[in-house]
Amino acid sequence: MTHAAQVEPPEVVRLPDAGGAILSAFGVTKRWRRNQAPILDGLDFELPRGSLIGLQGANGAGKTTFLRILAGLFLPDSGSVSLDGLDPVRQRRAYQRRLGFVAAGQGALYARISVKGHLEYWARLALLPPGDRRTAVELALGQFDLLPLAGNRVDRLSTGQRQRVRLAMGFLHGPDVVLLDEPGNSLDEAGLDRLHSVIDDFRGSGKTVLWCGPSVRNLGLELDALHELVDGKLVRL
Amino acid sequence: MSALAAAATGANAMFKRDFAIFVSYRGRLLMRLTTGFVSVALFYYISRLVSVRPFVSPDDYFAFVVVGIAITEVVISVLGTLPARIGQELYTGTFERLVVSPLGPVTGLVSMTMFPLLLAYLTAITSIAFAVIVFGMPLHWETVPLAIPAALLASVAFIPFAVFVGAAMMIFKQAASLGGLITTGLSFVAGFLFPIALLPAWIRWTSEVQPFTPAVELLRKLLVDTPMTQPAAIAVLKLLGFAVVLFPLAVLALKSAIRYAQQKGTVTEY
Repeated sequence: MTHAAQVEPPEVVRLPDAGGAILSAFGVTKRWRRNQAPILDGLDFELPRGSLIGLQGANGAGKTTFLRILAGLFLPDSGSVSLDGLDPVRQRRAYQRRLGFVAAGQGALYARISVKGHLEYWARLALLPPGDRRTAVELALGQFDLLPLAGNRVDRLSTGQRQRVRLAMGFLHGPDVVLLDEPGNSLDEAGLDRLHSVIDDFRGSGKTVLWCGPSVRNLGLELDALHELVDGKLVRL
Repeated sequence: MSALAAAATGANAMFKRDFAIFVSYRGRLLMRLTTGFVSVALFYYISRLVSVRPFVSPDDYFAFVVVGIAITEVVISVLGTLPARIGQELYTGTFERLVVSPLGPVTGLVSMTMFPLLLAYLTAITSIAFAVIVFGMPLHWETVPLAIPAALLASVAFIPFAVFVGAAMMIFKQAASLGGLITTGLSFVAGFLFPIALLPAWIRWTSEVQPFTPAVELLRKLLVDTPMTQPAAIAVLKLLGFAVVLFPLAVLALKSAIRYAQQKGTVTEY
């Protein structure tokens, strides 16, 4: 039994009546082995536009799997995901343009490429128009205090600095929704303040953030809602 | 942004990234070029021992084999680099960034063949130049410029093989040995180092069912005027045919392999 289940009885999240959600999941099920219980069991979830939502759960509860499905990285066994009506497979490009995803961990960087090189690379992968790339890169460098490190290779950065590079890539292309999987990892106090500030500004412009981690109660940010994954089900705390 | 513009942007992104990584290792280009020079020099001295038909002189065989070495360099690069790169991308976690990018993994992976291909051509050209300057290999200058479009056409016919191996890599995670096997097999049946006429009749059909034999024959004709076993126009048509048929099939295979990995949740595994 998980900690959350002991604290208060779970309330299964229902689809809201209002159509204010920007990112929705309907009946999402994922099972890793046929004879095992599903890691995600028919999840319904909606991320209201302009909100900051927390998603927590014990290790192995399926948070990262759920985020990967929302990000279009994994496909569910059944159920569907939609970003403002866009399907992650059929309308892949438009979906990914409007989504930012920062995976957990320290990877997904090229050791011998500079900080600025990474951001420029991502700006191209994000298919930003050539005229917008430089502005987007400069903005991201400034947002995450990476200007002094712009020319440094990432294998010569601290883990916290690398995390700021990864975060900058998540926000660089101006997505409408950002999915953050344990984004505070390795960040020092100043780094966390930076991240909070970026999220505040992001939400201020009507955009949406899903912050995922083992425990997201005391982030130092005001959450609009907090959900927990328990035994493959999503419960609202 | 149109699909073509997206592909160009992707190719540009991959090229710049691969170039930045390549030049960050000092001496890598020199080592690579030196390896090509050593191969050319080795075969120069081996060619001194050759006095068999259809080669009139050792110099004929030397010219024959230098072009073969150059093409082998391209084939190894095309077939070997993409699976290795996919393996690295999966290991470092950078592949998932490609999957969630607006560019997408299929365009991204096909774009990844660009830098290794251009590098292989650079190595091939310098190896041929080394053979010309140091060992006096004669070039057929009148048709040398035509080798450029022929090489481009050959590349479009070769890349699908890399993409097929890349698709296998997405599913099995270890397909580098498959690329190696294909390269070794091709060097045997495509006439890279010896004429296919020397092969036993029962295996010679394998020379006809892939684009590498017409490519190497055509480039030999254009570069060093080696006689062809078929008209040049037929070789060009074969290359076009392989490119037109195989490219969409390879892309479809890669797309399906990525979809399978996304479904199984192995797209982030290595």
